[in-house]
Amino acid sequence: MTDIARLSVPLTLWLISFSGLYGLHGLVCSGHWTRLAGSGAEVAGQTALIAGFLAALLVQAVAVAVLWTQRFGGPPGFVRTTSLALALVALVATLWTLGPSVALPACAWPSATVAG
Amino acid sequence: MTDPKPARRAEALRLHRKLLPIWSSDQRFRGWLTTNNNNDIGGLFLIVATIFFVIGGILAMLIRAQLASPGSAFMGPEAYNQVFTMHGTVMMFLFAIPFFEAMAVLLLPGMLGTRDLAYPRLGAYGLWVYIFGGSAVIIAMLLGLSPDGGWFMYPPLSSSAFSPGIGPDVWLLGITSIEVSAIAAAVEVVVTVLRYRAAGMSLARMPIFAWYILVVAVMILTAFPPMILGSLLLEVERAFGWPFFQTENGGDALLWQHLFWLFGHPEVYIIFLPAAGMIATILPVMARTRLLGYAWVVAAVVALALLSFGLWVHHMFTTGIPHMGLAFFSAASTLVAVPTAVMIFSWIGTLWQGKPRLELPMLWILGFFATFVIGGLTGVMLAIVPFNWQVHDTHFVVAHLHYVLIGGYVFPMIAAVYYFLPLLTGHSRFFKLGEIAFWITVPAFHLTFLAMHWAGILGQRRRTWTYDAGSGWEWINLTASIGAFAMAIGFALVIGDVVVNTLVARKARRNPWGAGTLEWATMLPSPVYGLASIPVIAGRYPLDDDPQLALRIARGEGFLADTSRNRRETLIVSTTGGEPAQVAVLPGNSVLPFILAVVTSTSFLAPLVGAYLLSGAALIGVVVVALIWAWGLGSKADEGPVDAGRGVTLPLSTEVPDPPGWWGSLMLLLADSVHFGSLLFGYAFLWTVAPNWPPPSYLAPGAVDAVLAGAGAVALLAGPRWAARSILKGAGPWPGLVLAVLGAVALAGAATGIILARPDPAGHAYDATLWLLAGHVGLHVAITAIMLGYLTARVLAGYTSPRRIGDARIVQLWADFTALTGLVALAAAWLPGVFG
Repeated sequence: MTDIARLSVPLTLWLISFSGLYGLHGLVCSGHWTRLAGSGAEVAGQTALIAGFLAALLVQAVAVAVLWTQRFGGPPGFVRTTSLALALVALVATLWTLGPSVALPACAWPSATVAG
Repeated sequence: MTDPKPARRAEALRLHRKLLPIWSSDQRFRGWLTTNNNNDIGGLFLIVATIFFVIGGILAMLIRAQLASPGSAFMGPEAYNQVFTMHGTVMMFLFAIPFFEAMAVLLLPGMLGTRDLAYPRLGAYGLWVYIFGGSAVIIAMLLGLSPDGGWFMYPPLSSSAFSPGIGPDVWLLGITSIEVSAIAAAVEVVVTVLRYRAAGMSLARMPIFAWYILVVAVMILTAFPPMILGSLLLEVERAFGWPFFQTENGGDALLWQHLFWLFGHPEVYIIFLPAAGMIATILPVMARTRLLGYAWVVAAVVALALLSFGLWVHHMFTTGIPHMGLAFFSAASTLVAVPTAVMIFSWIGTLWQGKPRLELPMLWILGFFATFVIGGLTGVMLAIVPFNWQVHDTHFVVAHLHYVLIGGYVFPMIAAVYYFLPLLTGHSRFFKLGEIAFWITVPAFHLTFLAMHWAGILGQRRRTWTYDAGSGWEWINLTASIGAFAMAIGFALVIGDVVVNTLVARKARRNPWGAGTLEWATMLPSPVYGLASIPVIAGRYPLDDDPQLALRIARGEGFLADTSRNRRETLIVSTTGGEPAQVAVLPGNSVLPFILAVVTSTSFLAPLVGAYLLSGAALIGVVVVALIWAWGLGSKADEGPVDAGRGVTLPLSTEVPDPPGWWGSLMLLLADSVHFGSLLFGYAFLWTVAPNWPPPSYLAPGAVDAVLAGAGAVALLAGPRWAARSILKGAGPWPGLVLAVLGAVALAGAATGIILARPDPAGHAYDATLWLLAGHVGLHVAITAIMLGYLTARVLAGYTSPRRIGDARIVQLWADFTALTGLVALAAAWLPGVFG
C-alpha cells in the first residue's frame, strides 16, 4: 500500500488544497468574513487567499522533495518514476489552478450577474 | 520412447474435469439465482445493460422525431420532458456504468491471472440490485410516472412544490439503489486488483486495463457518495419537508448543484476511463506491438482521475460566481486536456511503432479517435468562461457531451465487444455485418451531432420540446434527426451482428489475436474456473514472454492446481510486488445475494407507494440476511498453512489479520468517509452562503453531552482493540466488548441530546442538518452495535482463535470509524453554538 500512497498522495494534496482554497474564497466573500475582519476585510481576504496559495505551493514542493529521496520515494523503478512525475504534475496543477488567487480581486462578480 | 504430448494433454483434461464441478453453477433454473461466477454475473450484467441501451436509444429516437420539424405535435411538453429526462438517466445510470462493470467482471480475473473476483457474492448482489432498481425506473416510465426535470434533478424544479408526483422519487430512490450496486462492484474491483493477481504480477506488471479500472473503481467510491447524500437530502425534503434546498428556510438550491456535480463531473471520467483502458489494451494488439509509455499512461490515468474532482463548478459557471472562483475552475478544466493528450499521443505512438491491421475492433478505435478528439476540443472551448456563458444550456453542450460519451465510450466498448467476442463466446466472427454497421453508425453520428453543435451556436436551447418555424434551425434539426435514425440502424446492426455471431459463428481458436496478456491463456470460451492453475509471471506480456505458458497453466504447473481440498481457491498476493501471500477460499453458489437484493430493493422502493412500514421491515431484513451471509463464512477450526503448490505453503485468508473482509470494509469506509465529508461540506456551504442564515438560535452544547461524546469515542476506540488483542492472546474478549458497547451507548446518548434539543428538523436547514449529523452518529453506532453483537456470537460459537482474528479486526475498523466521525459530527454540530 505504500506504493499506492506514493502514487496518489501528491494529487490528493492538490485536491485538498484546491477545495480548501475554494472554500476559503467562499468564506472571504461571505458576510462572516466582514464581521470577522472588520474594515480591512477585503485586504485581509486577498492576503489570506494568497497565503493559502503559497502554502499549497510549499506543500507540493515538499511532496516533490520528499518523493525525490530514496527513503520515501522508494527504489528506482516504475513506482518511483511515476510518483515523481505525478508530484510534479501536482505542483504545476497548483500553480496553474490556484494562480488566479494572486492575479484577480477576491470578490469581484461578473457584471451581468450583478446587474441580474 | 513415448510422445509426451498426449500425456500432457490428458493431464490438462484431467485437471479441467476436476475443476469443473467445484466451480460450476447449478445447471437447473435456480442456478440463475444462485450463481456467483464472474462469467455468469458479467454475462447477465452485459445483457441487461444492453437492453437498457436499447431502451435509452428508443427514447433518443423519440426526442429526434419530436425535434425533426418545428411545432411538432408528435409529443406534448409533458411527455417530452419525461422522455429526455429518462434518456439521460437510462444512458448514464442504467447503461454506461453497468456496461463497463460487466466487462470488468468478465475480463478482470483472467487479465490478472486469478480465478474470480474477490467477492463473488457481492458481485451477484450488485447485479440483482441493479436489475430491480433499473426495472423499477423503467416500469415507472411505462406507467407515465417518470421524473421530468432532467437527469440532474435540479431543485426547486424537483421539489415537492413544483414536481408533486412520484416522478422525482422514482429517480432519487431507484437511482440511489443502483448506485449501491455500483459501489458494491467498485469495492470488489479495488480489492481484486490490489490483492488477487498472478504470482509475480507486481504493480509495474499489471495489464494496463487493471490500472484504468482500479482508478475508476476508486473514483466510484469517492464520487458517488456526494450524489447519494444529495439524493437523500432531496428525498427527505420531499417526504418530510426538511428544507435543505428551500431558501426561505435556510436552505439553498445551489447546494444540490454542488453535490450533484461533485459526482457528475467525475462521472464523465468514470465512464470514459474504462473505455480508454480498453483502447490501451486492444490497440497494441491490433498494431502488433506493445503500449508506448506504459508508466506515462498510468500517470495520466491517475492525474486525470484526481484532476476530474476539481472541475465540478464548470457546470455552474452561470450561477453567479466571483471571477476568482470562475478562474479556478476554468483553469482546472483546461488542465485535464493534458493527461488526456498524453494518452492520445501514447496510442498514436503505439500505432506509429507497430504494424496496424484493420480488423473490426481497430475500425471502431479509429472511429473513437476521430470523434473523441473533437469532443475533447469542444470541452476545452466550454472550459473558457465567456464561451461557456454563450452556449450554456444550448444544443452545443448536448452535442459536446455526446461526442465525448458516444465517441469516447460507446465506440471503444463496441471495439472491446468485438475484440473479446472469442473469449466470451468461444466463437470467431463469421458474418461480416459489423463492417457495414460501422460505416453506417460513425458517419451518421457525425451528421447528427455536428449539426447539433451548429444549432446550439445559433441559439437553440436544450430541454425545450419544440421551436418556431422561421428560427433558422429547421434544416439543421431535420439533418440531425435523419442522422440519428441512421445511427440507430447502425447500432441495431451491431447488436444483431454480435447476437448472430454469438449463436452460430464458427469456433474460435485459442488466442486468435496473438495477444500477450493472461486472459487469453484459457481455452475458449473461458471456463468457469478461469485458469486451471495460477501462473507465475515475469513481465507485462506473459504470453509473449513464454508461448508455452497457456499450456503449462492448463497442465497445473502454476499455483493451486491441487483440487483435493474440493473448494474454490485462488491466490492472494502482496499489493506491490505480487509475491504469493495467502490462499483465498471463495464462497460457492448461494441464493443469499438474490434475497439480500430483494430486501435491499424493497427498502428503497417501497416508499414510492407510501409503504414506509414495509420499507422498515425490509431494512430489518437487510440486516438479518447480511448477518446470515457473514455467518456462513469462516471456520470453527484452525487449518494452518496449506500447500499452495510449487513447494510453497501459505496461510488461508481467514487466518490472517487482514482477511478480504477487512480490505472490503476499508474500501467501503472510504466511500463512507466521502459521504460524511460531503455532509460537512453541505453544512459549511449553507453556513457560509445560504441567504437565511444564521438560524434563530444555535445549539449550545452541555457539559454532559461533551463528556458523553468524548468518553464514548475513547471507549469505542479502545474496546474493540482490547477485544482483538485478547483473542490474539487466546484470552476472552469480554472486557473489551463490554467497554465498546458502553462507548457506543455513550456516543448514541450524545447524538440523542441533539435531537431532543432541536425537535423540529423541518423548521430551518440548520436543524435539519443537525438531525442528519446526529443521524450519521446514530446509524454508525447501530451498525457497530450489531457488529459487536455478531462478534460476541462468533466468539461463543468458536469462530475466533489467535489465528482467526479477522472478524475482530473488521469490527475494530468500523468502531474506529464510528468513534472518529462521531466525534467530528458532534463537534461540527456544537461548534457554531460555542462561537456564537
